[in-house]
Amino acid sequence: MPHPCRHSRPGWMWLWAAWAGAPVQERQRAVGEDAGGAAPCAGSGRAARLPLSRVKALVKADPDVGLASQEAVFVLARAAELFVETIAKDAFVYAQQGKRKTLQRKDLDNAIEAVDEFAFLEGEFRFLPVFFP
Amino acid sequence: MAERPEDLNLPNAVITRIIKEALPDGVNISKEARSAISRAASVFVLYATSCANNFAMKGKRKTLNAGDVLSAMEEMEFQRFIAPLKESLEVYRREQKGKKEARKDKDKKADSEEQDKSREDDNDDDDERMEDEEQNDEEEVDN
Repeated sequence: MPHPCRHSRPGWMWLWAAWAGAPVQERQRAVGEDAGGAAPCAGSGRAARLPLSRVKALVKADPDVGLASQEAVFVLARAAELFVETIAKDAFVYAQQGKRKTLQRKDLDNAIEAVDEFAFLEGEFRFLPVFFP
Repeated sequence: MAERPEDLNLPNAVITRIIKEALPDGVNISKEARSAISRAASVFVLYATSCANNFAMKGKRKTLNAGDVLSAMEEMEFQRFIAPLKESLEVYRREQKGKKEARKDKDKKADSEEQDKSREDDNDDDDERMEDEEQNDEEEVDN
């Protein structure tokens, strides 16, 4: 984990930049089919559940953050699930406009550009080296 | 704890399932799009954590709680998530309580030892023992 000099950027942005710089193969190798982990079955059982252990790893990766309660990790995981649903649906609108039944990367890009709440994904998402002076 | 970049990925299988359940039947998703959504979800968690942390710091707490995360959702303009999140949290709390009762019946001695543990413990090694944290029962859900 590199230690870039800290300006006024929040810790998580450095983290994201560092991670985004990793070669694609590395990331894909690391992503296993592991849907396990300490994932309690909560809320409506029909939706898939993100493993709390992975969410916790993200929380701990931010150097500015101390501890997080189990509940906080759970709510973050659940929020991330809702986020995935939301962005997928918003992106799908563009696939429909293009009369496609396959969601493509460009649909994501369009949704991110169009939806205000997704503004935090702009820039970083394209792995631009915007965080380095 | 491992801080390698790879550990920041969320599992493909789960992400794919969530996407499929959100979209109509028969809709596919390209590998690139799926991967992009997965990365976006990771960024979302990082961003939400950072926001939540600000609320915790404002409250002079070193431990993020559920209320901080909910406040973060508001801040990030994801207000529409708040109601379903509160609902899920209630269910989760009930389930955790049920598990706790079951554990108490099994091994009372181990439980009393856990209750003596410091709750504001800054020792990172304790983090992995998520099931043993008991501070959650008293936590208020802000907002």
